[in-house]
Amino acid sequence: MQSAFQPVAALRVNDLKKDYGKNQAVKGVTFSVKPGEVFGLLGPNGAGKTSIISIIVTLEPATSGCVEIFGVDVAQQSRLAKTKVGWVPQEIINHGYFTVEEILKFISGFHGRRKNKDRIDYLLHRLSLWNHRNKKVKELSGGMKRRLMIGKALVHEPKLLLLDEPTAGVDLELRLSLWKFVEDLKKEGVSILLTTHYLEEAENICDRVAVLHHGELKKIGPTQELVQSLTSRMIRLHFKREIRPLKHPYLTLQNQMMAEFSLPSATGIGELLNDLQLDLRMLNDIQIIEGNLEDAFRFILEQQK
Amino acid sequence: MKNSLRWGPFLTVLDREISRFIKVIVQTVITPLVNSVLYLLIFGVSLGSHIKIHDGISYLSFLIPGLIMMGCLNNAFQNASSSIITAKFGGDLEDFRVAPLTRSQIVWAMSLGGLIRGLTVGVMTYLAGLLFVFIAEGQILGIAHPFILILFLSIGGLTFAKLGISVAFWSKSFDQLSAVTGFILTPLIYLGGVFFTLESLHPWWQQLAKLNPLLYFINGVRYGLIGVSDVSWPMACGISLFTLVVFHLLALRSLRTGSFLRW
Ligand SMILES: Nc1ncnc2c1ncn2[C@@H]1O[C@H](COP(=O)(O)OP(=O)(O)O)[C@@H](O)[C@H]1O
Ligand SMILES: [Mg+2]
Repeated sequence: MQSAFQPVAALRVNDLKKDYGKNQAVKGVTFSVKPGEVFGLLGPNGAGKTSIISIIVTLEPATSGCVEIFGVDVAQQSRLAKTKVGWVPQEIINHGYFTVEEILKFISGFHGRRKNKDRIDYLLHRLSLWNHRNKKVKELSGGMKRRLMIGKALVHEPKLLLLDEPTAGVDLELRLSLWKFVEDLKKEGVSILLTTHYLEEAENICDRVAVLHHGELKKIGPTQELVQSLTSRMIRLHFKREIRPLKHPYLTLQNQMMAEFSLPSATGIGELLNDLQLDLRMLNDIQIIEGNLEDAFRFILEQQK
Repeated sequence: MKNSLRWGPFLTVLDREISRFIKVIVQTVITPLVNSVLYLLIFGVSLGSHIKIHDGISYLSFLIPGLIMMGCLNNAFQNASSSIITAKFGGDLEDFRVAPLTRSQIVWAMSLGGLIRGLTVGVMTYLAGLLFVFIAEGQILGIAHPFILILFLSIGGLTFAKLGISVAFWSKSFDQLSAVTGFILTPLIYLGGVFFTLESLHPWWQQLAKLNPLLYFINGVRYGLIGVSDVSWPMACGISLFTLVVFHLLALRSLRTGSFLRW
């Protein structure tokens, strides 16, 4: 039951399981993407990210569990659900015979929008494909092919966008422009689920992330919270002259002129300095290195072992 | 369901099918036409002058409707199957699955696309035949029953396009597709009476030939074009329509149980 105050989720994945023969690729995964949110599904290769996405877009049937897009079950009312979602696959799709513009027209028509020139022209410009609109896919560069696939996913103005490793094997410039595009889409109110193993990017653009490993969801939460709860910041104190050996539970290293501490993200530096009862005039410099998602991720995976 | 989802997706798939075969028109229309012309030359003109058919009809005129139907059937099948197979290869068949298309929209649009290519080849074969008859016999090959001709060509084209859809969706490799074409389709067409009348067969073979649905397709077209047939046309029509329905259901089933995934 949805209450009036709780908007229906853009995507709800409930106890989803997927077996390929004996291989359990997805083992009972539950999460949801809120409207207008950018949600990152993180995990190493083989974690089951693409399998989940394939079930959402009905390319593969679920073994059990269910998926709803804006409250519409993808298995029960798949046609209605499909009008609400756009999908950018991990692998490049080759359309042998057709040009960029024809492809976008066909996809638009598949969605019942036969006259959609404004939207198609807008996307061609927005994705810098306008000058290449009469080329066939095989004549495009890798980056252009990726952008075409994003255009295909957006031509029917879906409210939920699925990006499966959109930046794998993409150069830095294009990657940055893709993230910018994702931000713009978010402003337009599009909800986004993306999978990636570039953690730094997930950290920059995802509101929430979930960590998937061997088909199981290990952690889920707001990106910053997850980073804070799972990482530590490193503090290095440099002294003007040699000091006595320090004693502190977070101390990791000390030599004559320097001491290094590993603080839980939530602990302040003031607290540390207070505990140490140091004369501040002895300090030459303080270095702070914040933990990041990469550390959090490594931490979660290490916990598994 | 919104009205735009009723016709829009169907028309778009049809559009895509037609523009695909137009883009490769040499393979899809010209080559089949050259084939038909070769048959006309070798069997119709060269060998045909020695073959006698009942009712004072020349072998050339007898052969033309068979070749028209053979071209129509082959090309309707080819159009649907190669469209699907190349889309499996490139991965864009997945787009069909991810979009809000119904199975029956896909089946009808693809089979209509196949029929249109089949009819294109059929009409061109007819025009070539017209020329051959005029040169060889100084006569114009008129159409005896235009409505019946179109009817049988349409049923045949649709049926074979639907077969093409089924085979392509179920195929797991090019080999499987060409096995079906080579071991089932081509023999059935050749043994369906393109080149011979039932009367010319041993009675035992006649019974066997009557089990081949293509006999009715081909004789229907022959009746439509030159007014003679080995079987009565209403019966041929009934059997052909029945075959169409069976193959339509088969195609729908292939979309349900076959694969949209890329190879
Ligand atoms: N079509 C398939 N058939 C059999 N096994 C598959 C198939 N697709 C994926 N798998 C297996 O499922 C697991 C998860 O794969 P996948 O969902 O692609 O992971 P990810 O996208 O996170 O890299 C892997 O062990 C993979 O080998
Ligand atoms: Mg993947």
